[in-house]
Amino acid sequence: MTDAGVVYVIDDDRSVRAALEDLLASVGIRVLTFGSTTEFLAYGLEDAPGCLVLDVRMPGQSGIDFHRRMAGLGIALPVVFITGHGDIPMGVEAIKQGAIEFLTKPFNDQTLLDAIQNGIGKDRDHREQLAESAELRARWAALSAGEQDVARLVVRGLLNKQIAAVLHVSEITVKVRRAQVMRKMNVRTLPDLVRLTEKLSPDSLT
Amino acid sequence: MTRPDGADRTGMKARLHLWIRLILLAAVMALLFVVDTATNYEVAAAVFYALVVLTAAPFLNRRVLIRLSALCVALTVLSFVLTAKGNLSTGLANMGISVVAILMATWLILKMDAARQAAQDAHAKLVRIARIKSLEGLTTSIAHEINQPLAAIVTSGTACGHWLAHDPPNLDRARQALGRIVQDAGRASAIVARVRSLTRGDPPSTTVFSFNEAVQEVIGVSSGEIARHGIALVLELAPDLPPVHADRVQIQQVIGNLLLNAIEAILSGPAQSRVIHMASEVVGGMVQLSIRDSGPGIPAGVRDHLFEAFWTTKEDGMGIGLSISRTLVEANGGQIEAEAVKTGGAIFRFTVPPVQQENSR
Repeated sequence: MTDAGVVYVIDDDRSVRAALEDLLASVGIRVLTFGSTTEFLAYGLEDAPGCLVLDVRMPGQSGIDFHRRMAGLGIALPVVFITGHGDIPMGVEAIKQGAIEFLTKPFNDQTLLDAIQNGIGKDRDHREQLAESAELRARWAALSAGEQDVARLVVRGLLNKQIAAVLHVSEITVKVRRAQVMRKMNVRTLPDLVRLTEKLSPDSLT
Repeated sequence: MTRPDGADRTGMKARLHLWIRLILLAAVMALLFVVDTATNYEVAAAVFYALVVLTAAPFLNRRVLIRLSALCVALTVLSFVLTAKGNLSTGLANMGISVVAILMATWLILKMDAARQAAQDAHAKLVRIARIKSLEGLTTSIAHEINQPLAAIVTSGTACGHWLAHDPPNLDRARQALGRIVQDAGRASAIVARVRSLTRGDPPSTTVFSFNEAVQEVIGVSSGEIARHGIALVLELAPDLPPVHADRVQIQQVIGNLLLNAIEAILSGPAQSRVIHMASEVVGGMVQLSIRDSGPGIPAGVRDHLFEAFWTTKEDGMGIGLSISRTLVEANGGQIEAEAVKTGGAIFRFTVPPVQQENSR
């Protein structure tokens, strides 16, 4: 995973596209431009934190509609809207849908650049979170069924003796499994373990 | 633009028809009068005057119609006075019924006429509102159009500044940005010029020009767009077209708009068959251009609305392009129509009057 951000620009106007491409290149941001949402979908996403600059009014599918469909398509990019003619309801709608900025053309370049940086930052955080939780799930999956049982009860605050009674195993077995859990989950203290398991989805703990 | 000999001929024909009808009516009325007078009181032929009034209503105006019905009433009364045979009280009753029938027929016709007039007024009002609405749409559209190149200019300007501020300055990229600025500024001013010629209230400034040449010019402007989307343009321009007499700029706007619509229609369809077919020919004494596209065509029931202001099938359309096109074509003495093609796609046709060869006035 490269950490440098990439900006995707979707605008049907060729000269706006060229200007945006050049502007972003001049400040050292990698940029990919597309004339339509179809072109963008055909290209796909790069494995890098990114931000989508989306024109509202395009022939075919409008930017607002595309934004609404993005979650369904599995695209979680932050979106900055740009439009040649925007009214307040349109802007409110876009922001309510979760866009980070709604700019009317001609827009202030600094505002746009700030919004893009903000978007890339958000996506980077989001991707880190995803990676972290994937890692966590992998560690949890590495535990045996018996170890998972022990871990669940440890986190609930039960003593070894109580756990042994609940699981109908010897206290020694509980101690061994507990040590394995600490090792495999890569934690040293009980509070660390509690903190990590809290980040796991609730159904894996029940 | 008008064809005086044709208009005269139609006018004469209409007048002749009117006279024939009036003479026939007069004959029927005379016949009714004779029958009513010659027969007994019991025969109420005068009731048929009501039919005369009803028949005459469509081609007479209010005042004449009222006079006609007054004449019918007078004839009824007169024939009652002149009739000599039969039961007098029956005759009186029959006369009363006839008079009432005539008066009721007249009253109903006048009432219906007033209702029709009111409906027409309401329609005219709606058309005016639609015009104002389309003007709103127009300003929105203009704002959008002009903001595109402006955004490009501002953005390119900033980029240019950045390239110059680099150490060492990237003069090549800065120069490219400047080139784009100049180009987009030209584009913006072209939009302003287009809008101005579109909204100018004055009548079309008609000139005589070669229709095919005007078509070729528009195609030249759009060729980049056509090539970029991989659209095949098939041209069938009739070589022996008479020169046309119309506002060249307005006609070119119509061609450009129809061509743009065709391109947009094609882009919304499947990619394999992207063909636009343009043909010019003489049809019924008018020069006609037809533009056929291989797009998704015109859905059933939509065709009648296509040219109405503020009516569109495009998700982001303003519904003013075709409405303005029709206004322009009709202002130039032509007609515009749309048709779905059975094999897919749509065809748009409009006509422009050719220059009058000999002065027939």
